[in-house]
Amino acid sequence: MASSADVREIMGLGPAGGTPEGGGGSMVTKEMILAMDRPRKSGKKEVAPKRPEGMARELYNLLYNDSKDAPPIVPTDSNRGLDQGYKSVKAKLGMRKVRPWKWMPFTNPARKDSLVLYHWRRGQDEGKEYPFAKFNKRLEMPTYTDMEYMNHLESDGWTREETDHLLDLCQRFDLRFPVIHDRYDRQTHKNRSIEDLKERYYGLCEKLEILHADPSKVSKPYVYDGEHERKRKRQLEKLYNRTPEEVEEEEMLKNELRKIEAKKREREKKTQDLQKLIAQADSTSTIKTDKKTQSSPSTPSNKKKSSSSQNKNAGGSKDINSMEAAGIKFPDQKSNPGVALRSQRMKLPPSVGQKKSKAIEQLLQELKVELQPMPTEEICSEFNELRSDLVLLYELKNALATCEVELQTCKMQYESLCPGKTLEIPDKLKPNPTLALIKGEKPRSISDVIDVVGAGATPPMRKRKAALEQSNVLKKIKNKNY
Amino acid sequence: MSGGVYGGDEVGALVFDPGQFSLRVGYAGEDSPKSEIPSTVGVSPNDAPSGSASAHAMETDSNATAGATTATSQQIGAGPQEKNFHLGVVALAAARKAKETMSYVRDGMIEDWDVFEKVLDHAYKNVIQSEAELHPVLFSEAPWNQRAKREKLTELLFEKYQVPAFFLVKNAVLAAFANGRSTGLVVDSGATYTAAVPVHEGFVLQNAIVKSPLAGDYVTHQCLNFLEQEKKIEIVPPYMIGGKEEVKMGDPPKWTRRSNLPEVTQSWHNYMKRQVVQDFQSSVLQVSDAPYDEDSLSTILHYPYEFPNGYNNEYGMERFRIPEALFDPAYNKSPNAHSMMSVSHVVTTSVGMCDIDLRPALYGSVVVTGGNTLLQGFNERLNRDLSVKTPTNMRFKLIAANGPQERRFGSWIGGSILASLGSFQQMWISKQEYEESGKSQVDRKCP
Repeated sequence: MASSADVREIMGLGPAGGTPEGGGGSMVTKEMILAMDRPRKSGKKEVAPKRPEGMARELYNLLYNDSKDAPPIVPTDSNRGLDQGYKSVKAKLGMRKVRPWKWMPFTNPARKDSLVLYHWRRGQDEGKEYPFAKFNKRLEMPTYTDMEYMNHLESDGWTREETDHLLDLCQRFDLRFPVIHDRYDRQTHKNRSIEDLKERYYGLCEKLEILHADPSKVSKPYVYDGEHERKRKRQLEKLYNRTPEEVEEEEMLKNELRKIEAKKREREKKTQDLQKLIAQADSTSTIKTDKKTQSSPSTPSNKKKSSSSQNKNAGGSKDINSMEAAGIKFPDQKSNPGVALRSQRMKLPPSVGQKKSKAIEQLLQELKVELQPMPTEEICSEFNELRSDLVLLYELKNALATCEVELQTCKMQYESLCPGKTLEIPDKLKPNPTLALIKGEKPRSISDVIDVVGAGATPPMRKRKAALEQSNVLKKIKNKNY
Repeated sequence: MSGGVYGGDEVGALVFDPGQFSLRVGYAGEDSPKSEIPSTVGVSPNDAPSGSASAHAMETDSNATAGATTATSQQIGAGPQEKNFHLGVVALAAARKAKETMSYVRDGMIEDWDVFEKVLDHAYKNVIQSEAELHPVLFSEAPWNQRAKREKLTELLFEKYQVPAFFLVKNAVLAAFANGRSTGLVVDSGATYTAAVPVHEGFVLQNAIVKSPLAGDYVTHQCLNFLEQEKKIEIVPPYMIGGKEEVKMGDPPKWTRRSNLPEVTQSWHNYMKRQVVQDFQSSVLQVSDAPYDEDSLSTILHYPYEFPNGYNNEYGMERFRIPEALFDPAYNKSPNAHSMMSVSHVVTTSVGMCDIDLRPALYGSVVVTGGNTLLQGFNERLNRDLSVKTPTNMRFKLIAANGPQERRFGSWIGGSILASLGSFQQMWISKQEYEESGKSQVDRKCP
């Protein structure tokens, strides 16, 4: 609320109520100025915060007098409680009567006997219950009669005496089984593991729970899987008893595994990139054919047709967008409102890296195409398309080169692993771009090389199409050349 | 409920912490014991004329001021065959004819109950200076204390001292409490033994206690051997020295024997000599950070030390070599060295004897306490050795109080905390319970 008033003040406008008259006519009259002044003054008076009751004037002035700001939003404690906020100038120390402490006897209800100890306590608390008695929590132990034991609780290897001993220890140590195990009477009873003790105890609890089942209470069944626990402990024990050498070896193996996985991921990423390239090449080629069929009957000068074809192109580029295409994504100028130079459309988007733009430049120079042609509508779209194709070509070439290198390394690896043998790479796999350049209909070699890297899922039709597209691009470049 | 400590409620309890070296006595709720009474007592046959004996009593009574120097001689009975006991630092240190020294503690447990009674009498009379019937008593004990001894102590306190309530706790548990832990492995390196005691939620796991005799007394012994046999230094306790002159480093000392020295016994003389060596031990020795290596330590600064008779010299590598035996038994020159375990070995063995599920918690809080850990560099070295030995999948943490008082009196401080907790007051064995069920309940009530 304060901000709009501030703006008004800065702009020299009156408060919100006074503007309509001023805005309506350009004439400024004396009354208007006076009228502007008056409400402002009255407004200020209303805003001025009231001095909290009891606050010293000097303190109040420090707070509010310098800048006539609104008071802080921090809540003050004035007018609250009996002390009346700022009114209580001095802390009331030593005003109240001392609450005496007394050295007094007490008994502790947590004890079974009536031990009387003495402690310091406030006189007013005399006779109250011992405050720490409430912390005395006892575990409820299962109990059984002789009959119950005979009928239900007999177990292999456990005598009545030993069971009683176990329960006694459970009570004494509040089910701390490691301690129970430690203090277990091994002279009269067998040496048992913690799991044995737990198994017996929880088994006992479970049976007694069923026997004494109380329908009103929802009881949680005791489940203790001793066998599983033993297995787990054995496993932990093994882990603990490893020698440093074993730990080291494990660490080393883990590192190796990580390395292998990283390599695998890298390879997968590469194949994905290649697949993307192929898919992109596919889609552009389909667009091309579409466009050809559409534009051939009509003259290129037909504005409507050209615009429609441009729409098509826009649609195509959208498709490419959705596929994260490898060509150039020119931003859709139509979606950009406002006036702009048409040459702006030919500007390479910033997503195109420096390497690529250099490559485009070089190729354009080779093709003897102007770097900045006259940006007519048609030239713009054609030029953009050309450059997009150039980038695609560039990337395909790069992919081809990597594939070749990989093929070579594979060969080398094979030869180093099996000395004496040489890996014959079938002719089919040997890349021969010149061949593809000349014979447009036999471009299998390239697509096969691409396949080597793992695009196993691509149907053959697609591959062929991609290859076709490749040759199309090359042809196009050639055609432009002449 | 008294203010101050959260959850605290002081009932004027007393805390006794008997150890191999000394008995710590004080009020629960305070931060250090009122007095530390040596476990070594002086005994002399009472054949002195009655006049001088009463003079002794007079003299020592005036000594009865609070503080560590309280001392008294007690004349027991009137017959000539009765003995005089010299308790406390001052009375013990006074040169007297035919005064033998002896200790009522063996292996961390009270052995000589008659002497121990005298010490308790002395504590009540001169340190506490209050009636025994007014104060509940919390005693600490060695974790391997025997049932018969626990019952005897219970009996003694209820029958002779008429205490209103009594409780007995293992000193390792108290040391863990003093460091704010209820679970952990307590490494207690005191005078006669270094023990690793696993404590699980306030209970000692007795089957996994590991002890080693490599501790303070062992180091003292090694120092004595080193000084007397290797360096051929005559150790002269201060009581013999009447005067001395300043001499250059390494020169033979110039000192005069005190006149009118009574005929002292060999055991007392040895005790006084050990005190000199103990001072040497605490001020000169240092544990090296890394395993002892002559080459890397040869460049270290030498440390000067002056003996009471004025002889002074500098000590270099020896400072590190002597305590190294605590950590590396290869430097142990005792005949049965192979049976002694280094400190870190004691710890790992003890942990290895516990349940596998407890081991991470034990490694996670290794509490170090005891006077021997005050050796310079002890904790750093132990930390280093154990970090290496801890399995990689467990976190290791060494917990040690910073102050020397807190480390020396660790279990006393734990007892002081425990006995002044409000929720502890229900644990006491009361006089009524004792009268009803007898001394045997101490085993049930004080686990």
